[in-house]
Amino acid sequence: MNLFLQTTLNGLVLGGIYSLAAVGFSLVFGVLGIVNLTHGIFVIAGAYGALVLFTKLGIDPLLAIIPIGAVLFAVGYAYQRTIIQWAISRASLVASLVVTFGVAMMARNVLQIVFGPDVHTITPTYSFSSLTLGDLRIDLVRIVALGASLVLLSVLALVLARTHFGRAIRATAQQPLAAELSGLNTRNLHGLTFGLGAAMAGASGAIIGIVQPFTATSEVAWTLNAFIVVVLGGIGSPAGALVGGLLLGLINAYTAQYVGPALTQAAMFLVLVLMLLVRPNGLLGNAFGESR
Amino acid sequence: MKRRTFLQGSGALVLAGAAPSIAFGQENTITFGGSVPMSGAAAETGLNVLQGYQCAVKYINEEKGGIEVGGNTYKLALNLFDDASDPSRATTLIQRQVDEGVDFFLGSFGSNIVLPTCSITEAAGRIMVQAGGGSDLIFTQGRKRVFGIFPRASRQFVSSVNMFTSLEPKVKSVSIMYTNDAFSEFQAKGARASLEEAGIKVLDYIALPVGVSDVSNVLTTIRENTPDILVCTTHDQTSILIARQMVSSDTNVPMLYQTLGPQTTAYKDALGNYANGVVTQAYWTELAPYSGDYFGSAGDFAKYFRANFDRELTYHMASGAACIVTYVEAVRRAGSLDRDAVRDALAAIDFECFYGRIRFTDDGDGDAALLGPLLIQRQNGELEVIAPPDGASAAPVYPAPTWKERA
Repeated sequence: MNLFLQTTLNGLVLGGIYSLAAVGFSLVFGVLGIVNLTHGIFVIAGAYGALVLFTKLGIDPLLAIIPIGAVLFAVGYAYQRTIIQWAISRASLVASLVVTFGVAMMARNVLQIVFGPDVHTITPTYSFSSLTLGDLRIDLVRIVALGASLVLLSVLALVLARTHFGRAIRATAQQPLAAELSGLNTRNLHGLTFGLGAAMAGASGAIIGIVQPFTATSEVAWTLNAFIVVVLGGIGSPAGALVGGLLLGLINAYTAQYVGPALTQAAMFLVLVLMLLVRPNGLLGNAFGESR
Repeated sequence: MKRRTFLQGSGALVLAGAAPSIAFGQENTITFGGSVPMSGAAAETGLNVLQGYQCAVKYINEEKGGIEVGGNTYKLALNLFDDASDPSRATTLIQRQVDEGVDFFLGSFGSNIVLPTCSITEAAGRIMVQAGGGSDLIFTQGRKRVFGIFPRASRQFVSSVNMFTSLEPKVKSVSIMYTNDAFSEFQAKGARASLEEAGIKVLDYIALPVGVSDVSNVLTTIRENTPDILVCTTHDQTSILIARQMVSSDTNVPMLYQTLGPQTTAYKDALGNYANGVVTQAYWTELAPYSGDYFGSAGDFAKYFRANFDRELTYHMASGAACIVTYVEAVRRAGSLDRDAVRDALAAIDFECFYGRIRFTDDGDGDAALLGPLLIQRQNGELEVIAPPDGASAAPVYPAPTWKERA
């Protein structure tokens, strides 16, 4: 029983990190309809940003979330309003797939040139502490990461539900034409949404940097994880990302413990395929899809 | 001066300048082809191997004035490209160089890249000497022109088991974790066979996927089974992940042994004091009692490398340089650049240099008795040789202190 509880706890904690890393991807997919293959780059850029702030200025990665989020918000906004917008307006939505893929390849190499190919880690004082609950044990840094994920996801959910900005995003996602007729600048809102997605990805990167070692090439895995989380949980909402992330974490943990760690990725893709066959909109569906 | 006149004049100058160097390059240079991961997942070690190649070429050209073959003096040159840690890109690069007529190849880093590329060079009758691929598959498929400085993976664990059996209190059980790739799996298989032969029980034999991002559940199993030694045949990033999660989940074993990772600066930076007590393999150290015509002693190699290159010295630089030195010695003994003569000289080679005594088995891998790994353990921040006992600079710390005691 202890083994089962420990495995479940491990899975939930891992899932919290997956959720946070995927929510930006989910938002951009839901509102703009773009499968953003640059998403992993934003995550890893956040990790490198936290590394620089920690090693050069001694800023804790959890505090570094704020400046990193701000910078990546600006980068994401500019990126969407220029490169992505140009590609979509001149070709089609599908062009964004190719463009974001190409930009991700270039950005990965730029990160490698700037930071080198070596493996990096961020090690604040609490990196090596653990918590014990009876016979259950979990490392503190992952609990902190889970807590930060839940806080950020809640903040995003509140912003989307309660603020004018959030309502504008939802309106743009559900009925772009009606939103424009009501006076909303949908192009600007698309840029802001993309910026928000990039900021969330960067914030998750700062947390991921303290949980596991990373290199520029780690970005591929985070784009892929985000895609699986969205397929599992549903598109566009923090709740969908949370459900998808936790589910992915649990699948990962149970497979590693009871089937074999070598088969975790196989299990993830098996569930991905089954989900696409049985419930292609994910468990919670498309948050913005009902009016489309 | 008119623009056209300027272009004609400068074009002629460029051609005039280039023509002799092209001729020189063709007649008096021995070019080593190949690819190396200068970017991508294996770049950290790939760059180490690359600097080893560069170091030896620089030394032979500048300190020795090149090599003399058949009355002519030849300079060495490298024609290495970035394969981005990608086997498919590497095979394209190697095939192109084969088509361009390169005779002598150096290896990339990682068995997953060396295996397909050495198949191309072998099929084309070219030679490869490499220090980046230890998978048994490289050496057991009948190739005659592929030579590895390291012993094949399944033979790399004999010295480790000898060390385990010498420890007090007696080692009774071991758990093994390995990455599911062509090199690590063979190394783990070799470890299991050697351990069982020595009467040590293998409690767990766990495969991890390539690019694993979490090992919490595997560590839960390790805590339940409490082995005396945890052996990880994993690469750098995975080794760091395992060690960090062991510390943060307070998973203690009397000895943590990781074949790749603890040698690197990244590992030391990521673990700090927790890196103390971790045991790893090294195929060379600057304290090794070897010397020869090239570079002099192991310590001399270290001195020369540090004076000319910037990366922190690890055994990968030395093994890369050993590939070039071995080629040079084989060419010297063959007295010719004929591929068959050089191949035969490599197959028969047996000489001592700064790296150790180099001799290949009939299958082309390094002779395990001569080129097997030393075992090193980080003690008070320094890497100390703990086995074999003849060349040891310190006794093994076993059982290692708990993580809390190492903080």
